[in-house]
Amino acid sequence: MRYMVMLSMRSDVGPPPPGLVSAMGTAMSEAFGSGLMIDAGGLMDDQQTTFTLRSGALSRTDGPYAEAKEVVGGYAVLDVRSHEEAVEAARRMMQVHLEHWPGWEGAADVRRIAGPEEGPPPT
Amino acid sequence: MTTTHEPTHETVVAVWQLESPRIVAGLVRMTRDLELAEDLAQDALVSALETWPRDGIPANPGAWLMTVAKRRAIDTFRRADRHRAEVARLGHELTEEDMAELVDQVDYVEDDVLRLMFLTCHPALTPESRTVLTLRLVGGLSVEEIARGFMVKETAIGQRISRAKRTLAEAGATLEMPSGAERVERLDDVMAVVYLVFNEGYAATSGSSWMRTDLCLEALRLSRMLAALAPAEPDVHGLQALLELQASRLHARISPSGEPVLLEDQDRARWDHLLIRRGLAALSRAESADGPVGVYTVQAAIAACHARARRAADTDWVRIAALYDVLSRAGDNPAVEVNRAVAHGRAFGPAAGLAVLDAVAPLDQTAHQWHAVRADLLSRAGRLPEAAAEFRTAASLTHNDAERRLLLRRAESR
Repeated sequence: MRYMVMLSMRSDVGPPPPGLVSAMGTAMSEAFGSGLMIDAGGLMDDQQTTFTLRSGALSRTDGPYAEAKEVVGGYAVLDVRSHEEAVEAARRMMQVHLEHWPGWEGAADVRRIAGPEEGPPPT
Repeated sequence: MTTTHEPTHETVVAVWQLESPRIVAGLVRMTRDLELAEDLAQDALVSALETWPRDGIPANPGAWLMTVAKRRAIDTFRRADRHRAEVARLGHELTEEDMAELVDQVDYVEDDVLRLMFLTCHPALTPESRTVLTLRLVGGLSVEEIARGFMVKETAIGQRISRAKRTLAEAGATLEMPSGAERVERLDDVMAVVYLVFNEGYAATSGSSWMRTDLCLEALRLSRMLAALAPAEPDVHGLQALLELQASRLHARISPSGEPVLLEDQDRARWDHLLIRRGLAALSRAESADGPVGVYTVQAAIAACHARARRAADTDWVRIAALYDVLSRAGDNPAVEVNRAVAHGRAFGPAAGLAVLDAVAPLDQTAHQWHAVRADLLSRAGRLPEAAAEFRTAASLTHNDAERRLLLRRAESR
């Protein structure tokens, strides 16, 4: 089973402290080394574009946006044996933030990625 | 919606499974007794099942489990202390002072996990025992999960594990880090076990193939672990590359109705492109190393030729044929010859393929493949009646229902 964990936080959160970077580095290399994590990345907000489709009209806005809002700041893709394993991997990422980034607030969304077993939608 | 966070039984087991190889490895180092180490690791799981649902998952579950297991170990040794003979056998006594040291070990036991892999793939064991013991102690799988993977009874797996542990004890095997030529040999053994587990799932030699993909994914994880633990050995990256690339096709090689789909007929959009990317990256790590190229790296290079072809018609069969020639020179493996015949057939025409194939006799275990490939080459050469006969022979030799239907269909369609 494949999962994605999306880490969201306020867009004006600022750069992470060195302690967080180093602790996340350790946690990530452990997760990659155990075969659990297969992809991960941080999302930058310096170059950002949003397309919106509303009432039949397509519009585009380019960032960076002035107002602070909750954005996805990073993601990880996991190959797991169970839902619980994915949840634990996400808990660990949040635990690292709790211990190494005082005052940081955010959320980790754990979502299963649709697999071939879902099949195409019925037509 | 729920805001509680009491972990369920499944969560506790999942967390324990993640920590299990390091805990077992640390305990084997401490107790020098695989049987005891596994019991202590299980005790720690039982404690976690009692405690965590009430108190939540500890911030550092690995250290928590290790501390509990260590306490149990000390209790065990204290009891044993009353029996001097036991103490003499264990050779050393543990005290509370060792506790902090052992808890610290959680942070640097990665080498111990590699040692544990060397132990569960020990030459004193049969290949079957190695696979089962590795899945149990390094993969952290339950006996039930292993039994499901191999489609045998739980009691049979349990007995095999007990027997394997007894064999290791009798052989005096314990955690060790072999060096030099022995290390290379022992790494070969470990890689062979991982490969065997993968193939057990991939080949699905009997019955339904669905649940077997679990074994493939478990082997894939083991190969990733091994590549992280022994990164200086080029062929571990080759093995990882091979399994990532093979696994990328897992879902495309079976039709929605459960029939096998040949590589050239697979919908390449259904290949797992994240795994392909990881496989190609691992292959380039393997190929950038100095020294002789290992057999897994060559096989991965073959798999990469398929992965890189956007359409079946784009496949670089000349390169694949050359790579199979390398494999053929590396060892006497009839399965390689059969695949080499396929590659030469595609690269240089069916007559070239038949020449390779007819130079080797069909062996029992690969006989149906030999006949199936011969049938395919004959039909490509336009020798249709002979092809139909070979397809029927191949169908009569396979143990896989879906493959038999496919072969019989091809026999009829010519």
